[in-house]
Amino acid sequence: MFGSSSRFPAVLALAGAVLGLVFAVYSTIDYAQHLDRRLHDVHCSFIPGAPATSEAEACRAAMYSPYSALLREQYWGGVPISLFALGAFTFFVGFALYLVVANGRAPKTAVGFFAAVSVTPLLVSLLMLGISVTKIGSLCKTCVGIYVASFLLAIGGLLALFTLRDAPAGGGGGYQDPVHEGTRRPALSFAFVPVWLVSLAFTTLVPAVVYASSVPDHRAFLTKCGELKVPVEKTGALVRMRSQRAVRPALFFEDPLCPTCKAFHQRLVGEGVFDKLDVQLALFPLDSACNWMLDTPLHPGACTVSKLVICAGDRAREVLEWAYDEQELLGRAGKQGEPALRAIIERRWGGAVLNCLDARDTNVRLNAHLHYASDNAIPVSTPQVYLGTRRVCDEDTDIGLRYTLSQLAPEVLR
Amino acid sequence: MSERSSSSGFLAPALALLVTAVLLTAVTLAVRLSVASAGERLKAPELEAEKPKVAVAGHAEVAYCTPRFKEVLERVLHSCGLATGDSRRGCKPADVKTFASISDEDFNELFTPLKDRGAVIMYDMGKEDLDDRAKKLLEDKWFDRKGARYFFVVARASKTGSVDKNRALSHRRANSVMFHLKEVGKDPEIDKKVGLLWLGNEFAQLSKEYCKWPSSRPDTKCDEEPINRSAFVSWVDCRL
Repeated sequence: MFGSSSRFPAVLALAGAVLGLVFAVYSTIDYAQHLDRRLHDVHCSFIPGAPATSEAEACRAAMYSPYSALLREQYWGGVPISLFALGAFTFFVGFALYLVVANGRAPKTAVGFFAAVSVTPLLVSLLMLGISVTKIGSLCKTCVGIYVASFLLAIGGLLALFTLRDAPAGGGGGYQDPVHEGTRRPALSFAFVPVWLVSLAFTTLVPAVVYASSVPDHRAFLTKCGELKVPVEKTGALVRMRSQRAVRPALFFEDPLCPTCKAFHQRLVGEGVFDKLDVQLALFPLDSACNWMLDTPLHPGACTVSKLVICAGDRAREVLEWAYDEQELLGRAGKQGEPALRAIIERRWGGAVLNCLDARDTNVRLNAHLHYASDNAIPVSTPQVYLGTRRVCDEDTDIGLRYTLSQLAPEVLR
Repeated sequence: MSERSSSSGFLAPALALLVTAVLLTAVTLAVRLSVASAGERLKAPELEAEKPKVAVAGHAEVAYCTPRFKEVLERVLHSCGLATGDSRRGCKPADVKTFASISDEDFNELFTPLKDRGAVIMYDMGKEDLDDRAKKLLEDKWFDRKGARYFFVVARASKTGSVDKNRALSHRRANSVMFHLKEVGKDPEIDKKVGLLWLGNEFAQLSKEYCKWPSSRPDTKCDEEPINRSAFVSWVDCRL
């Protein structure tokens, strides 16, 4: 397939490693920027170097997910896994460059080692791809860039094995110009393999260690986002979602058609935290059909879906999670109009629930939710999260979630 | 091995090592700098102009909430015990006259924008009982709260009868509204929401024009006598 002097596999691997490095750099910088607790645009493009954008929901969802970082209880935001990619791709750039320059003179041991380790980023990428599809439900373009880079690297590494065919190992023999026939690869002790492995581990860990050692202390900021003015909703209108494992009261203001609420809910469930919370849900649909705080509907149909959650009674969580799962469909139907939305609801939950949606008590109850938001002067954005009466800052509900919980409600992580 | 091949044999690993070291240093430095930069921004308070503007949830505030309207209603709210939550409930005619500091016509004019938001609950002569249609209309209005904070009940009596009798009658009419709302509303905080005013026949009598307003007896003959045997009820969509 390839002659022993073919540079193509090594060049392919080098290209993959460089590409991976570039995507990992952007991903890491995006992550590190958010350590200032402010909102930032995110790089989210298949084109390396494309500018950051505010239209990056999938990349933001990946970044805020529990799978984007390690040690998230110890460090605010955790240590992003892109740092490990950064270090690993640096190593692969160096090693692939070596193979390119050495060409057919690279020892078999080196080529074999490279082929073996070059598939590791691909294996990790496949794992992350699976998580993206099954857990996050979307593919972030920057992540896909890393997956593609990993694929190129692995293919290059594996193809390099073909250059070993017909190339007798050097048994201490002299060097022969690879450009000419009769190439002989120098022999190299297997003792180099652990050395390279340690080097790979070192380069992989260094950026992460440096990052972790310099992450700023966020503890002082966690409790500065206010308290509930009115801790109790006196008409008992709020929706209760409490499992038997609940150990900590929490209050959420959520809109069932809000993608950020969906992502937040999925994070809580993914972290295994939701069941530890005694949740009171105040529905706050960003839909002017019932919410007087908006002039135009941000999420048309959210009032109807909110009423559906109220009508669900003990099955409120099931309905809420259905609404999150079908959010795009419900959102589209909401834009088409009430009949389209009701048809979907009827198909899934039966016709009887439509009477409940129209019932005066349901409307009054939803209105009480909105008044509770009003009484507490919450920001008109969802989700809003309270642990007990303390408001959790918006930035602590996404990448800082686990760290914040470890500080403010450690019992829910046990 | 020739000198040339020997030197080129070292070139590849040396170059690779050098590139790896330079790259590693560069990316590590970039990581360190970007984290340090975020740390600096964290310590520096964000300028107000740079902060994303987020509205805060609040009660409704619609166009008719003019300063004059709010001024009068706020006076009434404070003076009649609603805003302070004390035991004093409601305002009698003398109170309204004193606290509103406003002429009869101007007082009624203030409520004109509430024509479609509210309704006139009508009573039989000398009575304070709510008939079925009155109850239905009152409930419709009460449960159509939307973003309003306060519900006003302005009860009156017609010119027939003495001032004292009509004052007491309008008081009972205001209370009949309150009692019914308490019964159907089951709202533990109703006392903080409903403002009661009873004007007897002494202040801000309604003209025949108000017969055109939504009422519980749209089909009955209406003039200045029956229209004042009434309680005007409405949510007020103002932040008072």
